[in-house]
Amino acid sequence: MTLAIAERVESRRDKVVRHFALTDTIFHWACRSAAVLVLIILGGVFFSLVSGSWAALSKFGPAFLTTDRWSPVTQTFGALAPIYGTLITSGIAILIAVPVGIGIAVFLTELCPRPLRRPIAIAVELLAGIPSIIYGIWGLFVFAPFLQATLQPFLIEVFANVPVLNNVFAGPPYGIGILTSSLILAIMILPFIASITKDVFDTVPGVLKESAYGIGCTTWEVVRRIVIPHTRVGIMGGVMLALGRALGETMAVTFVIGNSHRLSASIIAPGTTISATIANEFTEADADIYVSSLMSLGLILFFITFIILAVARYMLLRMSRQAGA
Amino acid sequence: MTQMVSLDKIQPQQSVGQPKIEIKNLNFYYGETKALKNISLQLPERSVTAFIGPSGCGKSTLLRVLNRIYELYPKQRAEGEVLVDGKNILDRDQDLNLLRTKVGMVFQKPTPFPMSIYENIAFGVRLYEQVSKSEMDERVEAALRRAALWNEVKDKLHAGGTSLSGGQQQRLCIARTVAVKPEIILLDEPASALDPLSTAKIEELIDELRADYTIVIVTHNMQQAARVSRQTAFMYLGELIEFDDTAKIFTSPQEKRTQDYVTGRFG
Repeated sequence: MTLAIAERVESRRDKVVRHFALTDTIFHWACRSAAVLVLIILGGVFFSLVSGSWAALSKFGPAFLTTDRWSPVTQTFGALAPIYGTLITSGIAILIAVPVGIGIAVFLTELCPRPLRRPIAIAVELLAGIPSIIYGIWGLFVFAPFLQATLQPFLIEVFANVPVLNNVFAGPPYGIGILTSSLILAIMILPFIASITKDVFDTVPGVLKESAYGIGCTTWEVVRRIVIPHTRVGIMGGVMLALGRALGETMAVTFVIGNSHRLSASIIAPGTTISATIANEFTEADADIYVSSLMSLGLILFFITFIILAVARYMLLRMSRQAGA
Repeated sequence: MTQMVSLDKIQPQQSVGQPKIEIKNLNFYYGETKALKNISLQLPERSVTAFIGPSGCGKSTLLRVLNRIYELYPKQRAEGEVLVDGKNILDRDQDLNLLRTKVGMVFQKPTPFPMSIYENIAFGVRLYEQVSKSEMDERVEAALRRAALWNEVKDKLHAGGTSLSGGQQQRLCIARTVAVKPEIILLDEPASALDPLSTAKIEELIDELRADYTIVIVTHNMQQAARVSRQTAFMYLGELIEFDDTAKIFTSPQEKRTQDYVTGRFG
């Protein structure tokens, strides 16, 4: 009798175990395929970019990267102007946003009275949440006319007689152009730099700061000599992440950059970026070689941002390892 | 357990100097919590004073009042008077950076700055003094010799401060503190994260430094208090229970609680 009961229990258990094993396997494969899906999508994007840009790249060769002639009429295309515009707008944006972002982070971690800390941190995060189309429309209708009336004439006048710089700040103040895009980009990436920098500043051990204050350092000295050196890798990671975002930003830049394929030494002049060119011209790209050239631009941007983001991730990883050790 | 402290190691009683630090009716608050209750204490010049007591008794808090490092954190405040050379350092007009060059501090965990060994020391000196390169070299060497570290690091002065072992790092921190020429050195459990050999070196160092500095040390290790200090303050739950010559505290304390603690019956 008892033997029969024991057998029944055992067979029931076997069934449950088999059921568990099955659900576990399904779960395992579902998760795995979700992860693999990302790789497939990434690979697919890369593959279609390469195959789509093949026609243009094989026709123009390396000259595609080094000429700035972009003529849909004669069907000759060179990507130098958008590549230059992409790098220069992102570069200027980083130059402006990094000091301001670090300033915000220092204020929040070292100087800010506690009751103000949360409101400011939240405001910074809200800044990151503003859709780029809003920056674009604000940039075009409010910010660009403002710059046209104030900053641009001022810069042109001030540097008029300074060699080199008079070329950098030359030309009629259009309002829109490289400088305007850079400023908008700077505002857009500022919250990234500020919040990542704040996070890495928070990893500095309290006793380290205490001992620096303990030998008579001022806040400035503690930040410059202790906090920033201690977190430089993490800050670089944050900056790279922001740079990756600036390089790919499309909407706001398309609104205010002027979309001109002419290379100009002046940063006040209109220009274009890779993403702005694609966004502007995909509707009018009728010839195959035109479409292929736009695809090539996409491939170039893919490479640039991929490398930048990989470097950023690597640096942030090193930073967190360092903090963990 | 009753004979935790070997008596022959206790320094003979000597006459002590003028009070360097005079604490009068000091109360300390972490927000609403009162952490120090009406402490009054006189610490003599050029002498080692130990603060002992169980965890949370307020000994580290008391130490942190002496250079006002607690002010880095909001909601911490001290009331009462702490006179250093007769001047109340709790006054609002006391310059904090100046105070901290006069009152150096070494922490439980070694805290080398993220720079070279040489720079770790030169950095602090450069903050308040203009010195030539050769003079700086001398200052760095003198500080490292003082901290008994020179022979171990003289060939790698430009290596990172974090490349040293824990004990070496702690001596580097002491060298750094000594280099800015303080008058008072605060040691917050300076050896509790170190191995016995490094601990012995730190204790030797304290022994040498007491000729020139007023030293205050917080320690959990009662043998250490007995070995290095001339006066000992026993604290419990934010109160100063007993303050006397170290020999007295460890052999014939007046208070029962002190006796229980030093003989290991509680804490």
